[in-house]
Amino acid sequence: MTIFMQSLISGILIGGVYALIGIGMTIIFGVMRVINFAHGDLLMLGMYGTFYLFTLFNIDPFISIVVIIPLMFLYGGFLQKMFINRILGTLPQNQILLTIGLGLVMSNSVMLAFTSDYKILSTSYSSSSFDILGISISTPLLISFAITAVITVALYWFLLKTDTGQAIRATAQDREAAQLMGINVKRMSIIAFGLGASLAGAAGALISPTYYIFPQVGSTFTLKAFVITVLGGMGSIVGATLSGILIGVAESIGGVYFGAGWKEVVVFVLFLLVLLLKPSGLMGKSNV
Amino acid sequence: MFGKIQATALALILALPVAAHAAKVKIGFVNSITGPEAPIGENLTNGVTLALEDLKKKGIDVELVREDDTGKPEKSMAAFEKMATRDKVAGIVGPYSSKCANAIAKLAEKYKTPLLIPVASKEEITRQNLKWTFRLSATTYDYATILLDMATSLGRPKTIAIINENTDFGTSGAKSAKDYAGKKGIRVVAEEAYAPGSPDYRSTLTKIKSKNPDLVFMVSYVADAILLMRQSREIGLTPQAFLGAGAGFATVAFAKERAISNGVFSSTQWTGDVNWPGAKDFNKRYIAKFGKEPTYHAATAYESMMIMAETAAKAGDNREKLRLALKSGSWNGIMGEVKFADYEGYTNQNKHQMLVEQIQNGAHQTVYPPKYVSKKPVYPFPGWK
Repeated sequence: MTIFMQSLISGILIGGVYALIGIGMTIIFGVMRVINFAHGDLLMLGMYGTFYLFTLFNIDPFISIVVIIPLMFLYGGFLQKMFINRILGTLPQNQILLTIGLGLVMSNSVMLAFTSDYKILSTSYSSSSFDILGISISTPLLISFAITAVITVALYWFLLKTDTGQAIRATAQDREAAQLMGINVKRMSIIAFGLGASLAGAAGALISPTYYIFPQVGSTFTLKAFVITVLGGMGSIVGATLSGILIGVAESIGGVYFGAGWKEVVVFVLFLLVLLLKPSGLMGKSNV
Repeated sequence: MFGKIQATALALILALPVAAHAAKVKIGFVNSITGPEAPIGENLTNGVTLALEDLKKKGIDVELVREDDTGKPEKSMAAFEKMATRDKVAGIVGPYSSKCANAIAKLAEKYKTPLLIPVASKEEITRQNLKWTFRLSATTYDYATILLDMATSLGRPKTIAIINENTDFGTSGAKSAKDYAGKKGIRVVAEEAYAPGSPDYRSTLTKIKSKNPDLVFMVSYVADAILLMRQSREIGLTPQAFLGAGAGFATVAFAKERAISNGVFSSTQWTGDVNWPGAKDFNKRYIAKFGKEPTYHAATAYESMMIMAETAAKAGDNREKLRLALKSGSWNGIMGEVKFADYEGYTNQNKHQMLVEQIQNGAHQTVYPPKYVSKKPVYPFPGWK
């Protein structure tokens, strides 16, 4: 029972970060209908940013998101304006190639600048934990889960209550109709990509105290983000939140009861089952 | 017309003395320069760089063809084919990881090009009766045996848990550990193979903790080694000893993480303070040039390149002659005595003496076998700070 609870809680905590990664990708997809294959690389940039803020300026990784989020927002907006906006109406394969290309440029530039060495960010609390009823809870993971929750709630509020948020949702629902209603869809796209990038960057910052950092780290997370996005329903933020946590838990419990090497299998079997029963994803609308 | 002949003659005259001074050999070097294994690959690259310097001093001018396999077997195979056919190299040194080395070992046979594997340790690579594949390093079986020999000489462990990456090196290492533990009368209470690169091993480690093993044996590359130990500390896994099968546990990056690395044992092919000819000097030169300590990977790559280039220079352009010279030759350098022999089902396998090092206060110290000891081993595991 302890083992079950332990893996459940570890899974939920790590799932929170997965959710953050997935939400970023799903916002970008929702507004632009572009699958951002550079998402993991944006996360990697967030990790490097956090790492250098910590080592050079001694800024705590969890505080550094205050710097990382606006920086990544600007960077994401820049990418959208310079590159993504130009290919919005084109064939999907062109969009895929463009985002993959952008990702490669990012990871290889980072490798050129900082070498391929693994960087480990060690804070005083990196491997600290506390016990509740025999279950050990990692302090940094718990903090990052709390921050993830705050960011997610803030994001919901932004999308539901503000004018800009509503304009973004309108653009996601029907780009042409939104444009006819006087919404500047290009601007909304820039904001959406900026948001997606800053969420990826924030996720990078949040896991850097417990994970390791190297230029190619992004590919693992791009795949994960993609699975989360599809599982939750392309474009659905609630879906991405749910499926992020679901995948975290499935990995963790699958790792214990089927062996660590099988956890990916557990995740993908679950993924296939959901898609078989509900092809548009957990929260997806079937006509999208 | 006349001008052309004159020019050719001039070129010949200019070229001849150079050719007479330096023997020129073309060697291929395939390595993980980028990709997840790149931090270890860098050690191999640096080792080869030092080897090229020394070869030049000996009058052997190596034209090195470098290929990056990014840690992927298929890229390794493509690189091998290119070097063997298009670049027409005399012989090939590399690649780093077992999965890549295993993939190209058979290609060496197909293209009749000698392949010298510096450090990839999966046992089976040299157990396939391949005539063109040579290996300098000891195998994963030796990784496991030396660690368990040490553990049983220092304490009385009864149970062992095995955690390994589910790749060629990891699986092979885990299997060897299981076999040898059986022979030593140590019961295997848990076997966990994991997919590398996961941010969370806590559930696996909790499961292992519940079995309360005396020894925890891990086969992992760089980053996962750090993560596994970090999360072991988090959940309070405290066996008599943590045994790391080289790779990630032998790196400087791992040793520097004092909070989690202190007291961890690691098997290794080489250490900077071992008394093999030139080893200490190599260690010093490496630190002076690259600003960090070499791992055993660097030493194996250095020695492999020295052996391959020197032998190739003698054999001329003839690959068959090179193969026979590798087979019959013997060397004594920074890796100790090297001879590629056929024994116990191995072909062209160097019988290399493994060492065990322990991380004490952020530095690797040779602690076993007694003949090579630099510091006394700390056993059992002193507990987490």
